[in-house]
Amino acid sequence: MESIAVEMRDITKIFGHKAANDHVNFTLRRGTIHGLLGENGAGKTTLMNILYGLYKPEGGDIFLKGERVDIQSPEKAISLGIGMVHQHFMLANPLTVTENIMAGNFRKRQILLRKDQFRREVLELAERYKMKVDPDSYIWQNSVGEQQRIEILSVLFQDIDILILDEPTAVLTPSETDELFITLRELVDDGKSIVMITHKLDEILQVADEVTVLRDGKNVGCRKIDETVTKRDLSSMMIGYDIDLDLQSTHECTGDCIALSVKDLTVKNDKGLIALDHISFDIKEGEILGLAGVDGNGQKELCEALTGLRPVEAGQIYVKGDDFTGKNSKDFINAGVSFVPEDRRDVGLALDWNIANNLIIKEYGTDAFSSRGLLLRNKIKSHAKEMIERFDIRAIGEDALVKDLSGGNQQKVILARELNGLPSVLIANQPTRGVDINATMNIRREIIESSNNGTAVLLVSADLEEIIQVSDRIAVIYDGKIMGILPGRSSVAEIGPLMLGERMQRHDETASA
Amino acid sequence: MWNEIFSLTFLTSLLTATIRLATPILYAALGQIFTQKAGILNLGVEGTMIVSAMAAFTVSYFSGSLWLGFISAIVVGVLWSSIMAWLSNTMNAVQVIAGIGLNILGAGVASYVYRIIFGVRTLPPQIDPFPVVELPLLSKIPVIGPVLFCNNVPTYIAFLLIPVSWFLMERTTFGLRVKMVGEHPRASDAKGIHVTLIRNIAVLIGGACAGAAGAYMSTAYMNLFTDNLVQGQGFMAVAVVIFSKFRPGWALVGSLVFGFSNALQMRLQAIGAGIPNQLLLMLPYIVTIFALISTSRKAEMPSAYTKPYVRMER
Amino acid sequence: MMKRRLRSSISTTWQTAVIVVAALLLGALFIAFAGESPLECYGVMLEGALGSMSRISEIMIKMVPLMIMALGVSIAFRAKLWNIGAEGQMIVGAITSAVVGLYIPLLPWLHMIIAPIFGMIGGALWAMIAGWLRVRFNANEVITTMMLNYVALYLLAYMVYGPMQEPGGYNYPQSSSMAESIQLTPLGAGLRVNTSVFVAIGVLILIILFWRSRFGFTVDLLGHGTKITNYAGLNANRTIIWTMMLSGALSGLVGWIEVYGVHFRLLEGIGAGFGDLAVVITLLGKMSPIGILFASFFISALLVGGATMQRMTAIPYSIVDIIQGLVIVLLITQPMIQQKLQARKARGIYVE
Repeated sequence: MESIAVEMRDITKIFGHKAANDHVNFTLRRGTIHGLLGENGAGKTTLMNILYGLYKPEGGDIFLKGERVDIQSPEKAISLGIGMVHQHFMLANPLTVTENIMAGNFRKRQILLRKDQFRREVLELAERYKMKVDPDSYIWQNSVGEQQRIEILSVLFQDIDILILDEPTAVLTPSETDELFITLRELVDDGKSIVMITHKLDEILQVADEVTVLRDGKNVGCRKIDETVTKRDLSSMMIGYDIDLDLQSTHECTGDCIALSVKDLTVKNDKGLIALDHISFDIKEGEILGLAGVDGNGQKELCEALTGLRPVEAGQIYVKGDDFTGKNSKDFINAGVSFVPEDRRDVGLALDWNIANNLIIKEYGTDAFSSRGLLLRNKIKSHAKEMIERFDIRAIGEDALVKDLSGGNQQKVILARELNGLPSVLIANQPTRGVDINATMNIRREIIESSNNGTAVLLVSADLEEIIQVSDRIAVIYDGKIMGILPGRSSVAEIGPLMLGERMQRHDETASA
Repeated sequence: MWNEIFSLTFLTSLLTATIRLATPILYAALGQIFTQKAGILNLGVEGTMIVSAMAAFTVSYFSGSLWLGFISAIVVGVLWSSIMAWLSNTMNAVQVIAGIGLNILGAGVASYVYRIIFGVRTLPPQIDPFPVVELPLLSKIPVIGPVLFCNNVPTYIAFLLIPVSWFLMERTTFGLRVKMVGEHPRASDAKGIHVTLIRNIAVLIGGACAGAAGAYMSTAYMNLFTDNLVQGQGFMAVAVVIFSKFRPGWALVGSLVFGFSNALQMRLQAIGAGIPNQLLLMLPYIVTIFALISTSRKAEMPSAYTKPYVRMER
Repeated sequence: MMKRRLRSSISTTWQTAVIVVAALLLGALFIAFAGESPLECYGVMLEGALGSMSRISEIMIKMVPLMIMALGVSIAFRAKLWNIGAEGQMIVGAITSAVVGLYIPLLPWLHMIIAPIFGMIGGALWAMIAGWLRVRFNANEVITTMMLNYVALYLLAYMVYGPMQEPGGYNYPQSSSMAESIQLTPLGAGLRVNTSVFVAIGVLILIILFWRSRFGFTVDLLGHGTKITNYAGLNANRTIIWTMMLSGALSGLVGWIEVYGVHFRLLEGIGAGFGDLAVVITLLGKMSPIGILFASFFISALLVGGATMQRMTAIPYSIVDIIQGLVIVLLITQPMIQQKLQARKARGIYVE
């Protein structure tokens, strides 16, 4: 009994009309690393947010060391010794590191700030865990890896027994990941218990002692990790049936004409710093170029530059041989450049609008949907019906609001809009992020099919598996530079070092593969 | 005319009037610094002030105690702004609209209740306002003395509130909580800061200060209540908060700028100078726009400004 | 789909009606608090609003400008641009259109065309300042439009005390009156309501068409964010500016109506309080043209009836403000209450 740190029983949580957690049981043993595995939308984060007091469950009980507790707020969770590092960092940019850590760690009935004393404590703790931080720097001055360190430090400050980490490796390079895992081991040896949310099977096998798998909001099993556990076991638990994860692309690039050409492209990010540093590549008609790399190395800026949404500092962009440098987004759209943006909730979709309107936001001005300046409602409606049918969008009708759709169906709405009318170029940035496995497979199939029809595709993804599966050639980006271009179906071992910034030796030979 | 303007008497009376006109703005602005820093734009200050002014006058009139009136006004200010707190933090309403609604409602309620209590009279009922308290010795200094040290007690309190606000904001855990909540409510929540609670408190502090400002109007600046007693001071306070970039010390400067331009206009009118004072009255508002430009450009506005916080959002 | 849309618009109307009734009931509490009979007072109010042709003419006089202004405000609001500067835009429109009538000698019929256009340009340019500041400096439009209201107010005061003051008048803050030939003509003997009614009908039809047009769609798209607007191949910044200008132009047009159809001159305090009223109407009308038509009628009737009630009973006119304030407060709580009700329904399915 004493070896159990947390037990959650029969937890049910409902969002809208859907149960995100459906009578879930979960047990965390003391002094272990417990992997919480599941696809996107399986309810992992929801379950942990409940444990951390962020969400109030509709039903179920939580026991801490055998005693029933009621966790109505993060405040309460912290006082019970539960800390959480969120996937999106919870740091306020214009405040300093000390202020941010301080804000989460006020003592009981503390009124005065006592900044200097606190600053010293931060430095001490950082030293104890061998983490380097500058307590006086502002958050925005720190890199992503450093910010995660600050987050972990901030949580450790709270004197916690149980540490929850939500997809901690999503933004880290492989070597930073290894460092993190060493830290986690040390913490466990220190007597702490850790829950690590992830959808990566390797990480579970590498670091976890035990794993609980969630699927569709339900607990589908818990296993101890030993030599007998294979990736295949876990993936079939996670997905529910044996799925052929190696969807072999029968794709073969047949075109010769270059559809998209980028020469020495230099672009700045929102802070005015160089985000892309003299990047060059070509994509032929019907070819899929995968762009691998850890998030935040210039991918977003590249996609925006290639769709006219971000100004070009230097270099040229050619679409089908025409110089498009300095053209605006309308020109790119008219030239048949489609774009699936990374941030679908903010950029790609109007969430409070219905499907029909979302499908025509790029085309409502054309003769297809308007005449003499007035919109043709019937045409818009029938177009929506057609797209819902063709792309198998699950919704109650064309006037269903997009925010009521699942992530996968939202992504289908974007694809339906972007692939309609055979684009000459498709820029897809993380098209399968946050969607379930079935939708993922469908989206990959759609992308391959469009390239079979002659579309040149730039597929940006942080998911190496996806890149390897779908691409004809693979480019790797690091710190705004292309580290090398590899042939399709290169192995992780070949791609991995480039993602860390090691420049490829044989650049010239493979670039023209 | 110019001789008159550059005389010492004129200057003294001008500066005295400046202080008197700046004080209510200062009161309201100091409170709104907390409200806005927590991410809430409360345009309903004007309404809070008029309701409180009515309450202060009524209570003072019937009880004979100015201080009882002043305190009731603060209580009424807190109660009235709790509607704003509820609308913006619980109902997640569009704050701008909530503020406008409460202004209309406040003007209506204040005037209605006053008329029901006092009826329609040819001469409005009056009270004896807060008397001037001359500080010993200091008040004898020429010009500065009569301007700064011959005021009523509520004015002195307003000035004392400046360092108090600064201390609260910069040196206490509450101040840091307020900043966090306005900057990154989700992070604050995750760190165990009760976002709704802090935001509610910030709105109520704004309400208490607006209450004091209203009381000042009817019991210190004037000695009676009229429907249009509060004419834009609430909005001026909102402007001053932007002008000051949320710093209490600069809120004083901002209040004085608004107070001065109003005072100058009134003084000039009194001596019948034919200077187009309307253009002068415009100036503080234009200056505020420039201040807003500079704060917006340097991203000094709280990131969650006017954005409601919804924890359940997916 | 047609059915569903019809059903949803009926239920919206229904909810709004409930809110209006609730506000009136709460208002009744205030009346009762004053020791009067709410039923009687509301009766007097109704009689005062609709009792005779001249009463209805009074409603029209208020309704025409308020509706046009609210239609303008709704354009900005639907783009999520919180333009609360309608009053300032109207004032500037009043000044610019008055300039035409006072100083530019033209044929009367030409005046009738040029003056409203000048009014609209004045309002549009005034609103454009706020739009430009938002685009160029990311300056919050709530604050800028509010500040510009005051600047306009003092600009008007300057004009009517200074350069545009009636020569040989009694130093009143007003301009000379407009020549009769360029004033808007009354619709009947002894009635104040004038040909601006037709302008209002025209604007209403145009705005209905606007929301079905490409431009209207663009404004609605902007309401979903600047990022998606740019993504869709439109220039969000440019859209913000012309949306603000369109919004301001309608307020400017109201300035012309007030100068040429109601006061027949430029004067201090012209259209005072119209800005807030337009916001109330926009929200009550749920930002749709037809909704705004009914809302502006309701609010105008309330204003006219309230004045009668003050004369005939012991209830002060401020009850009108109270009811309006209550309407807004109730309106903005409605979405959350609805959401809570829906969530409760959903919970029933999973937790038995």
